[in-house]
Amino acid sequence: MVASTLGHMLQTARLRITLVALLSLVFWGSLFGIFYEAFHFLEDLHADVIPMLFNAFFLSLMVMLVFSSGILLYSGLFTSREARLLLTLPATPDAIFAHVFRESIWFSSWGFVLLGSPMLVAYGLVHGASLAYYLLMLPLMVSFAIIPATLGGMLCLTLVRFLPRLRLHVLSMAGVLAVALGGWLGWSAFSQNDADRLTTSWFEQAFSRLAVTEQRFLPSWWLTSGLMEASRSSSDPQQQWAALAEAGAFLAVLVANGLFLQLLAGLLARAWYRRGYGLLAGEYTARRAPQASWVDHAIERLGSKQGLPLRLLLVKDLRLFRRDIAQWSQFAIFFGLLAIYFVNLRSFHYDSSYASLIGSLNLGVVGLILSTFTTRFVYPMISLEGRRFWILGLLPLRRDQIVWSKFLFSVAGSLPPCCLLILLSDRMLGLPGKAILLHEIACVTLCIGLSGIAVGLGALIPDLREASPSKIAAGFGGTLSLVLSSLFIMPVVLAAGLPFHAEAAITALGSSWPWLAALLGIFTGGSGVAVSVGILCVLGLFAGGTPLMLGIRSFRRLEA
Amino acid sequence: MIEFDHASRTYGTKEAVCDLSLTIPAGELFALLGPSGAGKTTSIKMLVGLLQPSQGTVRVCGHDVVRDPRSAHQRLGYVPDEAILYDKLSGREFLWFIADMFGMDRGVTAARIEDEIVAFELGEFVDDLAESYSLGMKQRLVFAAALLHAPDVLVLDEPMVGLDPRTVRIVKDLIRSRTRDGMTVFMSTHTLAMAEELADRVAIMVKGSLQFLGTVGELRQQLSVEESSLEDLYLQLTGRGIGLPAASENA
Repeated sequence: MVASTLGHMLQTARLRITLVALLSLVFWGSLFGIFYEAFHFLEDLHADVIPMLFNAFFLSLMVMLVFSSGILLYSGLFTSREARLLLTLPATPDAIFAHVFRESIWFSSWGFVLLGSPMLVAYGLVHGASLAYYLLMLPLMVSFAIIPATLGGMLCLTLVRFLPRLRLHVLSMAGVLAVALGGWLGWSAFSQNDADRLTTSWFEQAFSRLAVTEQRFLPSWWLTSGLMEASRSSSDPQQQWAALAEAGAFLAVLVANGLFLQLLAGLLARAWYRRGYGLLAGEYTARRAPQASWVDHAIERLGSKQGLPLRLLLVKDLRLFRRDIAQWSQFAIFFGLLAIYFVNLRSFHYDSSYASLIGSLNLGVVGLILSTFTTRFVYPMISLEGRRFWILGLLPLRRDQIVWSKFLFSVAGSLPPCCLLILLSDRMLGLPGKAILLHEIACVTLCIGLSGIAVGLGALIPDLREASPSKIAAGFGGTLSLVLSSLFIMPVVLAAGLPFHAEAAITALGSSWPWLAALLGIFTGGSGVAVSVGILCVLGLFAGGTPLMLGIRSFRRLEA
Repeated sequence: MIEFDHASRTYGTKEAVCDLSLTIPAGELFALLGPSGAGKTTSIKMLVGLLQPSQGTVRVCGHDVVRDPRSAHQRLGYVPDEAILYDKLSGREFLWFIADMFGMDRGVTAARIEDEIVAFELGEFVDDLAESYSLGMKQRLVFAAALLHAPDVLVLDEPMVGLDPRTVRIVKDLIRSRTRDGMTVFMSTHTLAMAEELADRVAIMVKGSLQFLGTVGELRQQLSVEESSLEDLYLQLTGRGIGLPAASENA
């Protein structure tokens, strides 16, 4: 089936496949380069912290996979049309669960593979691992991913069976608690740490506080240990075989636990799936007040009559967003986590150049988090209108207005939290007013550019038949949106940081690369900030405007 | 009111609608019949502007639906065969959204929404979110939304699907009274009894082309069959593939 689907795609969408393969390669290559340099640095000075780093990384990925799989399985098992059909067929509930699970694990873990594989390949190359390491890498990752995905499925089945009315509230609360716990762990690891930064003792102190992630009962520890053993290279064949046997044992532990959990999940599905589905179907939804809320009313009334259709579309999207707890809870969780991290920045006591560097990195982090949200929630918005296009398509309004309304919704929704987070970060770092102003301008550029990319591509390559936003986001257009967004964030962060680092960079370059030194020279002195602002404006207009214009042109011709 | 002028539509190499020419005057109730895949929904989607004709033009009240869609849509109401709504909006919010989009006066809208709620018996669920609606509830809400701005032309694609007998009666009475008031109704249906009961004229479409256009009486005359129901005539025309000449506007 996979082969025939792939064959069909190659026949009908060769350009898309080539483009996505090319961009994925660029993305993978960039990540590989970053990890390669980082492992070189760590391998030379602090090789002993690498297992701790892997443990923390895989544990956080595990938590994310539990939630993303749980949400995907919830929509696949309880709200999809396919589930309605499957439940009428002579298929056992555990068979239906297994079918939906296979689909959801693909959608929830492709990011894990895309993010994890360049890191592991880079580590293997830096560490001089043998061929066995690369051969074992994929089985170890896949068998690991099955465990959190199954746990997410079991969590979902249990919640719907016992707490149907509160299912998403409980899931969100658990998510908030997990994030709060992660934030506390991060804070306790890095705060009150006065040892010299980036020295071995600093790393050891920091990561020793993350020792909780190295618990032997955690699948992330089994994966890390398996990878570490597989990467061990020795001239003594006996030792080499012993290390490989150890790696194989950890793979066996992962596979055995994955299969055991699958068995348990099958039993749970057999016992609770149909019952939970019935309970959910019989759930009563609260009535809405006949009057519009004051916020909606205010937005509708503010502005000219010509702009009313645009504002009505905005109010409609705002209502849909705030009534969909799955959307805003994820938004709140991730931005909440960033806020916790930024509030705790004060405890690091940076010098001014280091603080400025951290400020730039924080700008990049905010951009990256925002790009995942614009890809996950904004990009599918036009596609989701497809099955309802008989409503908007027949209203007496210009189609451009539909695309503009999505863009405005995204910009208006992302500007306040992002700008506040950057302000918080810069204030905690004690940056001067000029740097704060430039970071805020860069933040506005990011919001406009990322919204333009997501909405423009959403209108350019919509998937009008798919009802699940997560599947729309995981498709070709969503991937392209994520890759382009990541590529856009880099120059924005660079442009915002250069006025404060150009002189240091020129000094570091010395007499080599004279053309680069000359280029950096335009960012020095009093005009540096002005040059930076100009570049940010051009970047925002180009990155936001180009896909938006292409999307609008394509959307005008759209047929449903 | 409605004009198809040599309108054709292809999907790749397949011709779904072939050279359709048809004029429906104001106040007429017109029924388009045909087997599945005959091109009925494609014709309707061209009429409401969701699909563009590959050739020819389609006009509503003199407005080309491709060149001047906003004016055409201002005069159109549409009830699709499968109404997918915004799950997280209540029925009342949906009605207000449609009315505001049509630029209706808010005072008039409030009264008209209440009228539609009464007419389609939406009162019990109109403030619930649409995600909890049954197919019939959704269809009643869509009827109310389609009629809210008092359109000159009402386009119905399989309008009775999912409706209970009481609502079917309400809809039939409403269609009759609105056509008497001058509204044009273009309806595609598989319910032959309804077409026979309500329609001023019927058209039978097979494989993208009109096989017949006229009244049920004219159809009987053409097939030389007296005392037959529309169902018999329809089956004779579509089932046996009787080679009648393709219908023209003068048929």
